[in-house]
Amino acid sequence: MDEEDRFYVRYYIGHKGKFGHEFLEFEVKKDGLLRYANHTNYKSEKIIKKEVYCNKIVLEELKKIIDSSKVLNADDDKWPEPDKVGRQELEIVSGNEHISFVTTKIGSLLDTKDSQDPEGMANFYYLVQDLKALVFAVMDMHFKIKPI
Amino acid sequence: MQKRRDGEGEEEPAKSVEGWILFVAGVHEEATEEELLSLFDEYGEVKNINLPLDRCTCYVKGYALIEYADLESAKQAMRAVDGNELNDQILRVSWAFLKGPIRDR
Repeated sequence: MDEEDRFYVRYYIGHKGKFGHEFLEFEVKKDGLLRYANHTNYKSEKIIKKEVYCNKIVLEELKKIIDSSKVLNADDDKWPEPDKVGRQELEIVSGNEHISFVTTKIGSLLDTKDSQDPEGMANFYYLVQDLKALVFAVMDMHFKIKPI
Repeated sequence: MQKRRDGEGEEEPAKSVEGWILFVAGVHEEATEEELLSLFDEYGEVKNINLPLDRCTCYVKGYALIEYADLESAKQAMRAVDGNELNDQILRVSWAFLKGPIRDR
């Protein structure tokens, strides 16, 4: 496989609290496979897991969103570590760029302003919103499900 | 980007829970659902439109998902609208979901 062709995205957000391990995770592979998992113990023990093959046009849009976010240039060095509030993981492989960030949950943009890297964290925050928006749109339209 | 030729290299679409979904890229940032609906409902019954916003700017992010009740309407819409201009931007329209992995060309 050409290095230029490499593409992979994975996002995880979760925490362990009184309702158990609640998390959301999705992964998109270069062949179009989108895998989605959403789990909470609140009201039910069910974990929702779905998979669908997305067309190239969807991956291209994802790539465009990622490229315009500047997150590929960021560094999680100065970002807060995961803690009991929660954990976020974002891994992206795009061509010969590769990022793998781990940090705590970010409640809102205000949280990023207090960090040691407000601009980097804000870019990360907005990228995550945009990735989620696309994945949730896919889940909603294809499976008629909404995240818990 | 190469414009898709009819039938050639076209992957098989997967049916969604209630209909057939097209993915539209190149949507201009002030587009509205109404605008998209009037563009797409010419080809058949549009059951649903999803037009996500950019979380930072609150403008439209640039893509949309359009659901048709039936396959033929979706096919016709795709062929008719793909490559058209909307507000000085070229729309690209393809199936959103496939039955299997994207084949390397």
